Amino acid sequence: MSLEQFKNRNVGTQNYKKLDLSHSPSSGWGEFKQVVSRTFKPELFVGLWVTLREMGNALLGGKMHTTQYPFEKLPISPRYRAIHEMLRLMESGNYRCIGCGLCEKICISNCISMETRYDENQRKEVSKYTINFGRCIFCGYCAEVCPELAIVHGQRYETASEQRASFSLFEDMLTPIDKLNLQQEYQGFGAISPNADDNIKKTPLAY
Amino acid sequence: MSNIRDIKPKTINLTIDGKACSGVFGQTILEIARENDIYIPTMCYLTKVLPIASCRMCVVDVEGVDGLILSCQEKATNGAVIHTQNSQLYKERQNIMKLYNVNHPLECGVCDKSGECDLQNKTMEFGVSGQNFTTKEPFRPVQNWGHISYDPALCIMCEKCVRVSTEITGDEALKVHFGGYSSTILNVKENQNFSSLGEAAAVCPVGALVSTDFKYTANAWELDKVPASCSHCSSACQLDYEVKHDKVYRVTNNAEHSNLCGAGRFGFDFANENVSKDKEAFNQAVKAFGEAKNIQFSSNISNEEALILQKLKELKGYNLVSKEAKDYQTFLKAYSEVTGSTLYSGNLKALSQSRGIIVMGTRINNDNPMVKYHINMASKWHRARVAYMHPVEDTLMQNVVTQFIKYEAGSEEGVAALLTYTLLKDIKVPKGIQTMLDNLDIGNLSAETNIGEEELEALAKSLLKKSGFSLVVGADVYAHPRASNIAKLLGLLEHLAGFNVVLVPPTTNALGVSLICELDDAVEGLTVGYNVKGDFTLSSFGEGDLDMPAMNQQEGTLTSIDKRVVPTHVARTYGGYVLNDIANALGLNETYTINYTEQLPKDKGFESAEFDALPNYFDAMGNENRGYLLKAQKASANRKIEDIEEIRGLDGVVVYNCNHIDQFTPLTEQCKTLNQDKYLLGSQQFATAGKLRDGDTIGYTIDGVKFERVFKIDTSLKGTIALNPTFDMGLSSALLSSYRFSQVKLERVGNLI
Repeated sequence: MSLEQFKNRNVGTQNYKKLDLSHSPSSGWGEFKQVVSRTFKPELFVGLWVTLREMGNALLGGKMHTTQYPFEKLPISPRYRAIHEMLRLMESGNYRCIGCGLCEKICISNCISMETRYDENQRKEVSKYTINFGRCIFCGYCAEVCPELAIVHGQRYETASEQRASFSLFEDMLTPIDKLNLQQEYQGFGAISPNADDNIKKTPLAY
Repeated sequence: MSNIRDIKPKTINLTIDGKACSGVFGQTILEIARENDIYIPTMCYLTKVLPIASCRMCVVDVEGVDGLILSCQEKATNGAVIHTQNSQLYKERQNIMKLYNVNHPLECGVCDKSGECDLQNKTMEFGVSGQNFTTKEPFRPVQNWGHISYDPALCIMCEKCVRVSTEITGDEALKVHFGGYSSTILNVKENQNFSSLGEAAAVCPVGALVSTDFKYTANAWELDKVPASCSHCSSACQLDYEVKHDKVYRVTNNAEHSNLCGAGRFGFDFANENVSKDKEAFNQAVKAFGEAKNIQFSSNISNEEALILQKLKELKGYNLVSKEAKDYQTFLKAYSEVTGSTLYSGNLKALSQSRGIIVMGTRINNDNPMVKYHINMASKWHRARVAYMHPVEDTLMQNVVTQFIKYEAGSEEGVAALLTYTLLKDIKVPKGIQTMLDNLDIGNLSAETNIGEEELEALAKSLLKKSGFSLVVGADVYAHPRASNIAKLLGLLEHLAGFNVVLVPPTTNALGVSLICELDDAVEGLTVGYNVKGDFTLSSFGEGDLDMPAMNQQEGTLTSIDKRVVPTHVARTYGGYVLNDIANALGLNETYTINYTEQLPKDKGFESAEFDALPNYFDAMGNENRGYLLKAQKASANRKIEDIEEIRGLDGVVVYNCNHIDQFTPLTEQCKTLNQDKYLLGSQQFATAGKLRDGDTIGYTIDGVKFERVFKIDTSLKGTIALNPTFDMGLSSALLSSYRFSQVKLERVGNLI
């Protein structure tokens, strides 16, 4: 790879704004005039007008930009490794976990513990499944090894609770059956964020 | 009566893959290759049974021979040049794997066998990355056979299970249903729910046969294997407890080379749980030991514990009381006075190679299943004649027993004399013995024991052209009032007729205890009981004053029926006190119980080996390297045999203390998957004689232990002797160790008419 492509400064049409820097005073008198004019011009109120306008828009025009956390939350990158979720099959609503035990085996902090049994339908049923979040280091191996995309990292990053146990049961992690239609498919380990394309820009600077 | 194993084997030389190998004439190519570390892939080959030859994976190329040769069943010839790996063989094997994978369910994620599956391994090895062929799949539901389940869809029809069920365990429950792709394995004795089928499941290379109780509860790779020895009976078989989160999930063994009965495989949940250090009880125990005159114990303890008790005896002068071990010790001593060696000569391997076997004084299938398996092997491999001498018939032995000789309960001395006479009369014996034999009143003995002379003739005749004999002697005779004389009579068979004699120890470590401890009779005074009811009781199954660990919670060694000292390890945690703690409080000083392993008495044949240095494995050829073999010592000879005492037969209602199959001790009683029936089993004839009906609750007393049992008619039984299980009597179990046949008075309990 040559350096040519890095030296190419042709950045195309971008909506960068260039600063107008032509009025820098060069003499002492000039500087004095600039100070006096900036002091007595009503530009202050131009700035304040922007604030007032935005306040008006926000309060009266319904154009609020503030995220009302914790009532509102911004979406986070799918790569983020928050509290685990257990997904269900969209078709039948059964949980996807087949009880293969790979997550338990791969877990490097030994925090996953599961028990399985032979159920009435001759299937392997997960009778107990817990993750000890006091030990979990959110490495994501469990989600990566899962052959069924059953255990994934969800979006639930607020992990303050009175008890760790509040998160760790299978039922807590499982998609509620009435919210099955809201279940998001896991994009996979290392997936890009949904608006990644929009955020890509060519930088004007060579490096 | 020469021994067939004395014939000198002929050595042969051959070349396998360019390596010069030597073997013995009669060995197969595969055996010689394995001995020489040459790998030949197999799917259906199972070392411990005869070659099955259903998979054709083991094909090899022999120079000068057209076509491919099955190395598992082809005997090697001198000078043969053999190739085990080339592109043609690889293709052949790869095609076999492709066919094995036809419609094989892709459910490895949940399959119990995943991670230790032969099919997985070989599929990977031969690079089969997809299912190349398919066919119409018939409907084949999973079958629950009780202890094990069968999934025909996973079955690859290697037939290992059928061979094991026929050649090894002898239950003969599994059969092949031939039908091309829809071939399956059938369980023709499903209603009997043989626990010995666990052995068939153990050899299954795929997940078709699995333990019902274990199924889908854990994966192979999650379980830690704890090497141990089975503590249920005196065979002390090799096994691994498979443990996760301090819970035993299953028991596995080296099924390629060794065997395990149903009790060993499914009876593992007997640990003494939730025990913590109870200081007060411990202090009381030490106080009780301070005042005690007797220590009474059941001989289901390790060699180390036995040595601790012996050392305590030397220190404090206790009387060590263990009825069944004492009887066995006395019997063995009398026996050794005839043979001149402190131990009996026989072992199980030689038993399985015998051509003629006599079983006496034991319901062997119940008392020691592993001995029965070896009798079955001899029967299947060498068409051995098996004479089964006992007052009670056993239908489960019918398929191996060629002659059943029924004698009167109580007449064992006469039986031993008749047996000795029959087998020695045509052999040249020393003068004193000859005189003794000549003086026997055969007619009278025959009448008293109820064994016809023609039966003995038939026995002698059937053994006439055979060689390699075994005699299995069981617990009935050890507690007989004339045990010493019986021992001497039977000792003659080993001494003069070269019999491979196995004296089946009555409990797990009766042999070890009888060698290590100087045993006494109980005297007046305070008794401390260990797993036996005493004034102060140490117990490993609850009920006692101080808890002790069960055998799977302690490490130590056991002495097996093969006269082998085998190590066992801790599978379950235990939080309480052990016998060594008490011994240390009483003046002995060893940190761990296993420090006693190297102190086991050398003059009794033990080695001064450290516990941690004891090997515990089978080599590639199946040679057992577990612990070490006891060395028999010279014993002072006293071949004087007393006259046969008049036989006192038992009249009236006679019961025989005999546990049901899979049950041995109060420890096996706790195992929830084992048969828990606690009935007094009798024949229709017994019911008529005792005026009993099926389902009656009756009470009776044996050795001062009160029983109350439901009577059940067992149609497979004949005669007037009922079988009385003793395993569920808890701390009283070990008290029942006098002569196993007893005359009892039955009292009806409850439903009076």
